[in-house]
Amino acid sequence: MGIRNIIDKIFNNTSINYNSALESGVAIKVEHLTMEFKVSNDKIDTIKEYVIRTIKRNKGETKTVKVLDDISFTVNRGEKLGILGFNGAGKSTLLRIIAGIYEPTEGDITINGKIAPLLELSAGFDKNYSGKDNIYLNGALLSMDKEYLDSKYDEIVEYSELGDYINFPVKNYSKGMKAKLGFSIATLIDPDILIIDEILSVGDIKFRKKSGEKINEMMAEGVTVLLVSHSINQVRRICDRCIWIDNGKLIMEGPADEVCDAYVEDANYARIKKEKKMKRKLRKKYG
Amino acid sequence: MFDTFSEKKFLLTELVKKNLTAKYKDSVLGILWSFFNPLLTMLVFTAVFSMLFGKNVVNYPVYYLAGRVIFDFYNHGTKGAMNSIRKNARLLKKIYVPRSMFPVSSICYEFVNFLISFVILFGVMLLTGAPFHFTLVYAIIPIFLVIILIFGVGLILAVCNTYFTDIGYLYNVFTLVLLYASALFYPIEIVPTKFQIIFSLNPVYCAMTCVRQCVYGVAPSFSTMLYIGVFALTTLGIGLLMFNIYGKKLTLEL
Repeated sequence: MGIRNIIDKIFNNTSINYNSALESGVAIKVEHLTMEFKVSNDKIDTIKEYVIRTIKRNKGETKTVKVLDDISFTVNRGEKLGILGFNGAGKSTLLRIIAGIYEPTEGDITINGKIAPLLELSAGFDKNYSGKDNIYLNGALLSMDKEYLDSKYDEIVEYSELGDYINFPVKNYSKGMKAKLGFSIATLIDPDILIIDEILSVGDIKFRKKSGEKINEMMAEGVTVLLVSHSINQVRRICDRCIWIDNGKLIMEGPADEVCDAYVEDANYARIKKEKKMKRKLRKKYG
Repeated sequence: MFDTFSEKKFLLTELVKKNLTAKYKDSVLGILWSFFNPLLTMLVFTAVFSMLFGKNVVNYPVYYLAGRVIFDFYNHGTKGAMNSIRKNARLLKKIYVPRSMFPVSSICYEFVNFLISFVILFGVMLLTGAPFHFTLVYAIIPIFLVIILIFGVGLILAVCNTYFTDIGYLYNVFTLVLLYASALFYPIEIVPTKFQIIFSLNPVYCAMTCVRQCVYGVAPSFSTMLYIGVFALTTLGIGLLMFNIYGKKLTLEL
C-alpha cells in the first residue's frame, strides 16, 4: 500500500484530483479554472538563445492569452452537459484540461469516475505494428490492463469489421480502417464519464450508423456526458443542461433548450449586425 | 485513469515492447545486431591497445567489455530518457498518459539491452578462458546503483531537453568527454597519480571499476559503492523533484 501510493503520487503527474469521495451525486467539479497560454512570435527554446538574449536584454515580448477565465461548474452523475461556444472560445481546451492533457494555470478539477475521452482515436497507433498489436498498445495507453483486453479482443476485432486485416501492419490500412479500429478500442472502456468533441462519425455509411448507435447506447446507460458540438439540434436532443463559453468566460448556464435558444439568437444577431454594417458600408460607397 | 498498478505495469511493458520491436523489425539478424557493435569495437580496441597496455591489463577484451557494458547502459539509458518526451510529443498532446511513463519505459528498454550485452561479456570470458569468480554476484550492487543514477540523470535531462532543444547536443558532447574520462579502453595506471583523484569523483568510472573488480575476482570496495550510492540517490531526488514540478507543464512546452 504505502510505497505503491507514493510511487503513484510521484508518477501520475496531474493536478486533477481523482476523488471517489466526492459527494456521490457529482461526477465533475470544476472550480475557478483559468488557463493561460504563452504566445510569443519567437519562442526561446535553446540555452544558447536564452543566454544571448539575456545578455542583450532582448527576450522578445511574450503575451499571455487567457483561453479560459475563472470557469466553475459542476456536472452531476448521469447528467449530459453540452458546451456551446463559437470557434476559439476555449471549448476544446476545456475538454483537454478535464481529460488531463493540459495542466490548468489555476483552479481545481475533481473527477469522480473513469473517463473515456473520445478526442483522438488513432493517436496511439504504431504504424509498423499489426492491428492486433495495436489493440494492446492502444488499450494500454487508454489505461486498460492485459486481462481486460484479452477478454475483449474478439469483440474488438469483430466490431471493427477488419477481419483478416487485423494481422497486417497498420501502415497498410486505409484511413477509414484506422478510424474504425481506433473507435472500436476507444469505446471499449466502461466509462463513467464520456468526453466527446463533436460526435464522431467515422468510416463508411454502414459504420457511421453503427458507431452512432454505439455512442447513443453508451449515453443511454446513464453515463455522464460532456459534449462539444456545433450541431445545435444534436445538443438539444442529447443534453439536459448546457454551458456557453465565449472568449474564455462562462456567460450562461442552464437547461439545454434555454441556453441553445440564447446561443442561436446571439449568433443570428451577430449575423444581422454584420449584414447591417455591410449594407451601411455599401450605401456609403455607392450612395 | 491509470489508478491501478497493473494498468501502469501493462502500459510499461507495451512501451518497452514497442521500442524493442522497432529496433529489430525487418532485420534478418534480429537481436544479433546488438552483439555486433560491441564485438567489433572490442576486436579493434584489442588489436590496437592490447599491445600497448598488455602489461597493465590482464585479458584486455574482458577488461574493455566489462567497462563498455556499463558505459553503454549509462549512455543510452540517459539519452533515451532525455529524448523520450520530445519523441512522444504527438501522443502526449492528444491523450492523457502519465508523462513519467516515457522516460521510465525507455530506461527499462535500455536495461533489457544491457542484459543482452551481458551475454557478449560472458561469451568473451568463456572464449578467452577467463575464470568465473563468485564475486560476479556482487556486481548486482553497482549495477543497481547505476540504474538509480540513470533514473535521476534521465529525469532531469528529460525535463531540461523539453524546455531547451540544445540540451541534447550539449549532452552528446558531455558523454563523449565522459567516455574518455572513464578509463574505458585504457588502464587507470597510465593516468598521472594527481589526476586519478578526479577520475574517482566520476560515478560512472567508479561503477565501471566496481564491476570490473567483480569480474576479476576482487570484492568491490565499500567506500566507492557508498559514494556512487549517495551520488545516485541525490540525483534521483533532484530528478523526481524536477519532474514533479515541471512534469505537469511539459505538454505546454512541446
